[in-house]
Amino acid sequence: MNALVTLENVGVAFNAQMRVGAPRFWALEDVSLTLERGARLGVVGRNGAGKSTLLRTLAGIIEPDRGRVVRARVSCQLLSLAVGFVQHLSGRDNAILSGLLLGMRRREVERRLPAIHDFSELGDFFEQPISTYSTGMLARLGFSVAMQVEPEVLLIDEVLSVGDTEFQAKSGAALRERIHNGTTVVFVSHSDAAVRQVCDRALWVEHGRSVVQGDVDEVLRAYHAAAPAAAQ
Amino acid sequence: MRLHFFELIWFSTYAELRAERARSYLGLAWWIIEPAMNMATYYLVFAIVLRTSQADYIPFLLVGLTLWQWFKSCVSHGGYAIWQSLPLIRQVRVPAQVFPSVQILADTVKFSFILALLLLILWAYGYPPNRAYFALPVVLLVELVFAAGAAYLVAAMMPFVPDLRFVIEQVLTVMMFLSGIVFSLDAVPESMRTWFALNPIATLVDAGRGILMHAQWPDWLALGRVALISLALFAAGTWLVARWTSRYVKLPT
Repeated sequence: MNALVTLENVGVAFNAQMRVGAPRFWALEDVSLTLERGARLGVVGRNGAGKSTLLRTLAGIIEPDRGRVVRARVSCQLLSLAVGFVQHLSGRDNAILSGLLLGMRRREVERRLPAIHDFSELGDFFEQPISTYSTGMLARLGFSVAMQVEPEVLLIDEVLSVGDTEFQAKSGAALRERIHNGTTVVFVSHSDAAVRQVCDRALWVEHGRSVVQGDVDEVLRAYHAAAPAAAQ
Repeated sequence: MRLHFFELIWFSTYAELRAERARSYLGLAWWIIEPAMNMATYYLVFAIVLRTSQADYIPFLLVGLTLWQWFKSCVSHGGYAIWQSLPLIRQVRVPAQVFPSVQILADTVKFSFILALLLLILWAYGYPPNRAYFALPVVLLVELVFAAGAAYLVAAMMPFVPDLRFVIEQVLTVMMFLSGIVFSLDAVPESMRTWFALNPIATLVDAGRGILMHAQWPDWLALGRVALISLALFAAGTWLVARWTSRYVKLPT
């Protein structure tokens, strides 16, 4: 098989406090995983187990303090909404800025602006400062920009859809289409149903350690079976 | 990748200036009014209250403050840049150099307007353009490198020691008085002058005044020395930011 990203016994430590000599906190202790091309991996685990840190490590935002990350020459992007948005700028300018921050070239973003404008359903508001937007409009713009980034490995933290009921259906459908179109996906979620729906494999992370990786149903069963013990 | 880096810096600078304009009623006019008010303050204190006897005090002060404010805003804005962008750095993979660079570029754009205005005022005041103007770009370039170096250095450290922000303004104020911005360094005792000569800003402001007010070519040897100091600072600053980039994301929120 074709491994795009491999983590070998990865650990990530954060500085917990702003104090000289403060101890570090290991958000990831020892995580190993192999992500193959086209795989849709669900990551389950309790709050604070290190799932989000794991995603950010896969995205290359965080470098490991121990262990090894081996990444093929592919782009890994976290699905991030409204990255770098600036209040007083127009929707158009914010779309460009956000697109650049998410790794797109200027020309590429410009080319996709009509699609962003269209998908966001903002109409004339696209040229207005986003400080005039409602929460729903902001979410629509943020999602429309994020959907234009087409990484080879898409990393998703919980969010599968945004906005009001109508846009939720539309955004959810667009994302599901992306996911099932052969994109390699890592999906972090607390919802068994969502993981079953999206993923073909799963990884259980507990206290910063990868416990088991494999078939979705098996991993979920093991995860829930261990619930009382692990909660202590 | 590199081209993308410059596109990002360029567009962020535009966004920064654009957003700044939108944040106030007078918008762009503040680029001129704010430094003008600052200059008026020093003029009030030194020329009117303290009755500085120095000849040509107004052009002397204007040139000094224009060059100084550019340096100061680069260091204070650029210095905060990485620290203030930590939320973004945690969210997306982006080289930390972008943030101070954007601030330096934005301040340089603003400076170019003030410089143009300064030249007009000087001409109106009886200091016409002269051949030494050809040396002006060199002086400005050295100052830019020095300011950027200092800004990167502060920016690199600020996320680890946010307490620096309480110190930086004071250091800049002291540095301003030691650079002969508002009063001439001729008043400094002979024994201390060699120390003052090490200060890059003093040399640069001196060169700027020589060109703009006295049609004098800069002291190339002194300028060369300052250029070397500036390049060293710039190298150290960019190196530190690059080296510490992966650590910023692990700092406490």
